Amino acid sequence: MSNTTQHGRRRIRKARRIDWGGAALLLYVIAFLVFLVMPIIAVVAVSFSSASFIVFPMPGLSLRWYGRIIAYRPFIDSLIVSIEIAVCSATLGAFLGVPAVLWVARSPSRIASVVANLLLAPIAVPAIVLGFALLYLLSDLMLGISFLSLLIAHTVIAIPYVARTTFAVYRAQSPDLEEAAAVLGASRWQTLRHVTVPLIRPGIFAGGLFAVLISLDNLPLSFFFGNSDVNTLPVVMLSYMQNQFDPSIAAISTVQMLIALVTLAVVQALYGVDRLITT
Amino acid sequence: MTSTRTDAGATTVHPRARRARFRLARPSWTWPALAYLSVFFLLPLITNLVRSVSTGEASWSNPFVYYVKLITDRYYLGVLLETLFVSIVTTILCLLVSYPISYFMVRKAGRWNVVIVFFLVAPLLTSIIMRTFGWTVLAARRGLFNTWLMETHLLARPLDALNGPVIVYVALVHVLAPFMILSISAVLQTVDVRLEESARLLGAGRVSTFLRVTLPLSLDGITNGCTLVFVLTNGSFLTMLLLGGGTIKTLALLIYQQFNLTQDIGFAAAMGNILLIMALVCLLLQARLVRRRNVKQ
Repeated sequence: MSNTTQHGRRRIRKARRIDWGGAALLLYVIAFLVFLVMPIIAVVAVSFSSASFIVFPMPGLSLRWYGRIIAYRPFIDSLIVSIEIAVCSATLGAFLGVPAVLWVARSPSRIASVVANLLLAPIAVPAIVLGFALLYLLSDLMLGISFLSLLIAHTVIAIPYVARTTFAVYRAQSPDLEEAAAVLGASRWQTLRHVTVPLIRPGIFAGGLFAVLISLDNLPLSFFFGNSDVNTLPVVMLSYMQNQFDPSIAAISTVQMLIALVTLAVVQALYGVDRLITT
Repeated sequence: MTSTRTDAGATTVHPRARRARFRLARPSWTWPALAYLSVFFLLPLITNLVRSVSTGEASWSNPFVYYVKLITDRYYLGVLLETLFVSIVTTILCLLVSYPISYFMVRKAGRWNVVIVFFLVAPLLTSIIMRTFGWTVLAARRGLFNTWLMETHLLARPLDALNGPVIVYVALVHVLAPFMILSISAVLQTVDVRLEESARLLGAGRVSTFLRVTLPLSLDGITNGCTLVFVLTNGSFLTMLLLGGGTIKTLALLIYQQFNLTQDIGFAAAMGNILLIMALVCLLLQARLVRRRNVKQ
């Protein structure tokens, strides 16, 4: 009897000791998560400040900075350009990248692995180098600073993001399904449309979503192609910050975040983001 | 029809044998992407290489003048070394901060794992400008930190944290640690927990189990994460531009300034190529290290 209680006590003591390490780790993780969201929450808070500079505690709440960004045309114009560029480049990237991935993922040849590396390579090149190099090439092609140039540049980066996720999803699918379709008499086009594309859609969507988010925030790439007519939001924000320092930057950041959140919510409603993340 | 049926019968026995038979895609399906990337990705990088040895001060007689300038001029060499230093320090900091989080996610979090992943991915919805601006808000002279610290009488005068190098590292770790965490936890997930349990049962302590079993088996994740963070730090200039008051000068920031102010195209091209070479060396190193260990990622 005493033996078993001793045993039980020892077990309890052991359990408690393990708990200490675990509790420290848990506290650390929570502290880290707070660290992750703190600057974001701070910006959202400041966007509702009534002061015209950054000061805590805030003297009062107001929506004047939201009024300011609506009044300040470059913010809205560039936001629209940014969204157009992001969506168009992701779409174009998918149309270019996905067919290539379909071949690369099923071919055992060495050429295929070279092609795969090329498809993924633009991620590895620092964006500022790519942007700089592309600017002079596109100027030589008489495109220079324009919407088209921005679109071309952003598509180069969209291809690897779409290719990467599509590749992973397509690799996980059995080729039997496509073969079955072919055996049953489907043409290549029918097989593609009714079998392959529905199977790899999560990969295309996830990659496209990534490409959109990356494009919206790709300052180093956009920076070289901006002028007063066509500009993306990050470039306008940066030049605004270098001249003035008021909470309207916080307001436009918050708006941009809300747009991304709404997009995500729509994708979630239509498709399920958790499925995108797990694939 | 009969032949197909026997085919199908054969392939259920050898599923791999069939993989080479039917391929939906033709090689020509890669042409649009190849053409696009050749013209708008490879070609500009090549012309950039040419530009760095033929524009401005560089000429046929002295093509490498910019590269020589970069590694002999004291100022530029300093920038080059500072770029490496910042990237290495940021990578180490990220690794130290991230490993416990990854470990927690894989071994302890259970169903809370999804919540942590959400927290890691959510900042992607905000711009880097927003996150950098957030640190400005927090660390400004009359920002949140100073106000708190003064109110609790921990500080007599506001700290000028914005104009030092520390805030740059804090912001870099803030942006890049999620990449490290996700890289490590992806590999840690594949480490069988029973290996750790066996080590414990065989008498190894917690520390030696970690050092001799868990850590070596997760090295691939560490390699992937470190490469990613290093390359991303190398290419980033926004954090250094907006925070630290110009105390940290890196190559990417210098390219930005060269383009904005001096328009010395050849020199900017040469600096870009150095940056590119550093990234490529890193990736080759990564491919080498990960492949040699030959662990399934």
